[in-house]
Amino acid sequence: MINTPDLIAALAAQPKPVRRLGSPMLRSLGWLAVAGLVLTVLAVSHKLRPDFGSRMQDTTFQLRLFASAATGVLALIAAFILSIPGRSRLWLLLPVPAALVWVANIGYQCLTNWVDIGPTGMTTGETADCFATLVIISLPLGLTTHMMLRHARHFATSSVAFMASLAISGVTAFAMTLFHALDASVLILSFNLVTTAVFIGAGLAFGAAVRR
Amino acid sequence: MTRPNLTVVPHVQQQRDDPASREVDWSILMARAQEGNGAAYARLLTEITPYLRVLASRRQRQASDIEDAVQDILLTVHAIRSTYDPARPFGPWLVAIANRRLIDRIRRQYRHRMMETPLMPEHETAANSVAARDETADHARLAAAIEALPEGQKQAIRMLKLNELSLNEASAASGLSIASLKVSTHRAIARLRDAFLSGARK
Repeated sequence: MINTPDLIAALAAQPKPVRRLGSPMLRSLGWLAVAGLVLTVLAVSHKLRPDFGSRMQDTTFQLRLFASAATGVLALIAAFILSIPGRSRLWLLLPVPAALVWVANIGYQCLTNWVDIGPTGMTTGETADCFATLVIISLPLGLTTHMMLRHARHFATSSVAFMASLAISGVTAFAMTLFHALDASVLILSFNLVTTAVFIGAGLAFGAAVRR
Repeated sequence: MTRPNLTVVPHVQQQRDDPASREVDWSILMARAQEGNGAAYARLLTEITPYLRVLASRRQRQASDIEDAVQDILLTVHAIRSTYDPARPFGPWLVAIANRRLIDRIRRQYRHRMMETPLMPEHETAANSVAARDETADHARLAAAIEALPEGQKQAIRMLKLNELSLNEASAASGLSIASLKVSTHRAIARLRDAFLSGARK
C-alpha cells in the first residue's frame, strides 16, 4: 500500500489549475439553452400540432403543459445543486409541487397504441411515432446531462440521476405536448425513469468492477 | 518589544484550534490549490488527513482499512476539487465526500463478506503440510519478483493489483496516463508469469 504522505506528495506534485464549476443556476441556463436548440430544430422539422391554439383554451391542457415544463426546470436546478457535495438533500423536494400538478393531469394515450391494424394491414401506431420523437428529444438532452453532471458519479449518483431524468422527462413532455396530438407523459416518464433505474442498478451491480 | 510576540503566538494557536477559523484556512488553501498552487494543496491535504482519519475510524475498525479509506477520500477530493466553491464553507463539502466514500466502502465490504465463507479447520486440506509452507514461499517469491520489476511496472502493479486502486485513481496518484498504466501492468504480469514459469520448469 502506498503511504498517505507519499500519496499527498504525488497529488500535490501536479498542481494543474482547475476551472471551478459555474453556479447551478448558470449551468441550468446552459442546459436549457441546449434544450431550446433541440426544440427549435424539432419545431422546424415537425411544426406545432394543428390544434395547439384551440387546446390552449383548455385549463387542464395548460396546467399539464406548464407543470411539465416547471417540473423539468426545477428538477434540473435540483440536480445541479445536488451534484455539489455538501448541499442539503432537501433540494430533492424542489420539483415535487410541480410534479404533483403534472401527474394529476397526466394522460396515457401514447402508451397503448403501438400497432394499428387497418384495411391496409398492420402498421406502426401513434405510440411508435411518439416513442421515436421521445428518443430524438431525450437522447441529446441525456448526453448533455451526462456531460454536465459526470462529476457527480463520485458521490451522489442516485439522487442526481433521478432528478436529471425527471428534468429530461419534464422538458420532453413539454416538447411533445407542443408537437404531438396525443399525451405521451406516461410513456416519457416510464422511458426516462426506467432507463435511469436500469443504469443506477447496473452501476450498483458492476460499479466496483468498472472502477477497477 | 517582545510583548506583542508573546500575545501573537497564543492567538495564532487559538485561531488554528478554532474549527471555524480552521475551516476558513482550508477554504483559502483549496481556492489556491484550484489555481494551481501545489504548496497550498499539499498543506491542505496534510491538514485534513488527521480529520479524515477520525471520520474513517468511526466506520472502520482496522488500521489498514482506515488508511485505505482516508486515501480513497483524498483521491476523490482531488478528482472533484473543481466542484468546491470558495464562497461556501469547506467543511460540509469535505464531510459529504468523506461520508459518501465511507458508505461505499462499507457496502463493498458487506458485499465481499456475503460472497466469502469463513475458513474453518475442516476446510484445511493441507494443515501443516508442504503445500501450506509452499504458499508462504510463493508469497516471498512473488514479492521478490515484483521487487525485480522495472520501476514503472513495479509502481503500476502495486497500485492496480496490490492496492486495488482504479485506473483513474492510480493515474491521479502517479501522474501517468491510463494507457501507460495499462501497458505497464500488462508487461509486468507477462514478466512475472515468465519468471514463475521458468522457475517451475527448473
